[in-house]
Amino acid sequence: MSGDFLPFTPVAGYRKRLLIEWKFCVRRLPPIYARPLARLIEELQKLPGVGPKTAQRLALHLLKRPDSEVQALAQALVDAKSQIGYCSICFHLSAEPVCDICRSPSRDAQTICVVADSRDVIALEKTREYKGKYHVLGGLISPMDGIGPEQLSIGQLVHRVNKDKIQEVIIAISPTIEGDTTTLYVGQLLKPFTRVTRIAFGLPMGGDLEYADEVTLARALEGRRELD
Amino acid sequence: MYLKTLELRHFRNYTAQGVEFTAPKTILLGDNAQGKSNLLESVELLATLKSHRTSRDRDLVQEDETSGSISATVQRDLATLDLSLILRSGGRRTAIRSGEKLRRQMDFLGALNAVQFSSLDLDLVRGGPGERRTWLDTLLMQLEPVYAHILGQYHQALKQRNALLRQNEAQTAPTDRAQLALWDAQLAALGTRVMRRRSRGLARLAPIAQDWHHAISGHTETLTLHYAPNVPLEDDDPTIIQAAFLDKIQQRAIAELHQHTSLVGPHRDDIEFTINDTPARQYGSQGQQRTLVLALKLAELNLIESVIGEPPLLLLDDVLAELDLNRQNQLLDAIQDRFQTLITTTHLGSFDAQWLDASQILTVKAGQLLSGFTHA
Ligand SMILES: Nc1ncnc2c1ncn2[C@@H]1O[C@H](COP(=O)(O)OP(=O)(O)OP(=O)(O)O)[C@@H](O)[C@H]1O
Ligand SMILES: [Mg+2]
Ligand SMILES: [Zn+2]
Repeated sequence: MSGDFLPFTPVAGYRKRLLIEWKFCVRRLPPIYARPLARLIEELQKLPGVGPKTAQRLALHLLKRPDSEVQALAQALVDAKSQIGYCSICFHLSAEPVCDICRSPSRDAQTICVVADSRDVIALEKTREYKGKYHVLGGLISPMDGIGPEQLSIGQLVHRVNKDKIQEVIIAISPTIEGDTTTLYVGQLLKPFTRVTRIAFGLPMGGDLEYADEVTLARALEGRRELD
Repeated sequence: MYLKTLELRHFRNYTAQGVEFTAPKTILLGDNAQGKSNLLESVELLATLKSHRTSRDRDLVQEDETSGSISATVQRDLATLDLSLILRSGGRRTAIRSGEKLRRQMDFLGALNAVQFSSLDLDLVRGGPGERRTWLDTLLMQLEPVYAHILGQYHQALKQRNALLRQNEAQTAPTDRAQLALWDAQLAALGTRVMRRRSRGLARLAPIAQDWHHAISGHTETLTLHYAPNVPLEDDDPTIIQAAFLDKIQQRAIAELHQHTSLVGPHRDDIEFTINDTPARQYGSQGQQRTLVLALKLAELNLIESVIGEPPLLLLDDVLAELDLNRQNQLLDAIQDRFQTLITTTHLGSFDAQWLDASQILTVKAGQLLSGFTHA
C-alpha cells in the first residue's frame, strides 16, 4: 500500500521529538560505572575541593580497603554528624551542649575573640597563644548570599558581653569587604559596652618591607602597637 | 621591555603554537578569521589580565577543550620574566610568574605592559561612559597594579550594596537601614580611593595627549580630557570626598530604594573629551575621532614608559590601514624602534618598503604561524 510510504513532511515538534529520542539513546548507553560506584563517586564529588578525578580515585581506593575499615569510616561520619552540634554559648562545634573551651576554668573569661567560623577557632588554638574565650559568628554579613546580621550569632554575642561583663572583645575576622563590614557592625554594637580591638593584619614573617604592597602596608600600619 | 617568546596552547583557534619575536616590529599577516587578533588578545591578557573582546574565559579556551594557556618570556631591564596564564572553561585562572603560582592577580600585573589600539577604540569617543571608564581603569592597573585590587574591592562592595537594596524591595526595616549605612561607608571609602586615582592618572595623561593631538592635527585643534566624576571632587582630601559621597547618597536615597540599585559612585563616572571646547562626540568627523584616539594611545605609551621606566609594547590591530598617511607617519615616528610593536594586517600594500625590511613578518593561517610570506 502506497499509504505506508507517505513522503516525509517535517511537522512542528519534529526536531524536539528527535532530540528526545536522541537523548533517550544516550541514556541507554552502557554506564561507565556500576550503579553503587557511580553513586559513591557522585556523593564524594559534593565535598569541597573534590573534583571528578579525585572522587573516582577516592572511591576506587575505598573499594580496595577491608570491610572493617570502610565500616569504621561510615560510622565515624554518621557519629560525627549526629553527635557534634554547636556550643550553646560560643557556637563553636562541640559534642557537649557547652564546649570544652567555654567550660575550662583556666581560660580568661573576660576576653572574647570573635571569629567567623569554627575553622578560625581551630587555627587560633593551634597557636597556643590565646587564653580567652571565643564567639563564632557562623559566617559574615553578605547580602549577595542572603546573610544579614540576623543570620549570624551577633545578638547572642551582645547579650553575652553584657551579661558576663566582658572586658575586651578581640575581632579576628579577615580583612575582606564582607569581613570589614561585619567587623564594623559588631564593633558599633559592642563599643558602648566594652573595649573592642581587631587583630593586626600585616606583613608575613620574613617579608621584606620593600616588596609589601600598599594595601598590606596600610593594614599593617592600622594594626600597629607599642613595642613591648 | 621586550616580548621574546610567546606560546599558546588551546587558546582560541591555536592548538599549540610557539613564536619567537626577532625584531622590534612584527607584522602578522593573514586573511580574515585566521587568528591575528587572537594572538594580540593573548598578549593583552598577559598585560592586563583582561580582553577587550570578552569577559568570559570560556570564550578564550579552544572549543571542546577544558583549559588553555598563554606563556611568554619577557626581557626587562633587570631580569627575564617567565609568565604563564592558565585559563579554564569552567574554573578560575592560574597566574604563574617565574615559576611561582600567584595568589593575587595584582601580583601578575606589571610584568608586561602593553597598549592596545584597535578599530574598536573609536568607541572611546562614540561609545558610552562605560567604555571610557574601562579604558582608564585598564591604563591605571598597568601604572599601579594595586589599583586592580582597589577597583575589585569597590565592585565587591557595590555588588553587596546592590544585593541589599534588592532585598529591601518590599520595605525597609530599621535593621536594614543600619546595615545599609555600613555599606554606604564602605562604598564611600573605597569609591574615594578609586576616584582619586582616576583623577590623578587622568591629570598626568591629559597634557601628553594634548601635545600629541596638537601635533597630529597640525596645530589647529586643542584637546582637553576632563574627569567627570559622579561624586563631586573639588578637593583631593579623602575625608572631604567621602563626606561629599555620603551626602550624595543621602540625596539619592529615595531614588535608590525605588530603583534597587546604587546610583552614586565612580561606577557612574565619565571622562569628557573636548576639542576646541566642543564635545568630541558631537564634533568629530571620523578622521577627527581617529586623531583623538591616536593621541590618547600615544599618550598612554609615553605615560607608561615614564612611570614604569621601560617602553611598553604596542599592539596595533587593523588600525594602520585605517589611518591616512599623515597619521600613519606620526605614529611610526613616535614608535620608532623603541616600542616593540605587533601589527596585524590582511595585506602588506599599505606598508612602506623600508618598514617592511625592518620587520619580522609572520603569516597567520588557521591558528598556525609561518615565518615570512609568499606573494599571492
Ligand atoms: N574559543 C575558540 N576556539 C576555537 N576557535 C576560535 C575560538 N574563538 C575564536 N575562534 C576562531 O578564531 C577565528 C577568529 O580569529 P581572529 O579574531 O584572530 O581573526 P583575525 O585573523 O584577526 O581576522 P580579521 O582579519 O577578520 O580580524 C575565527 O575563525 C573563530 O572561529
Ligand atoms: Mg582581527
Ligand atoms: Zn563554647
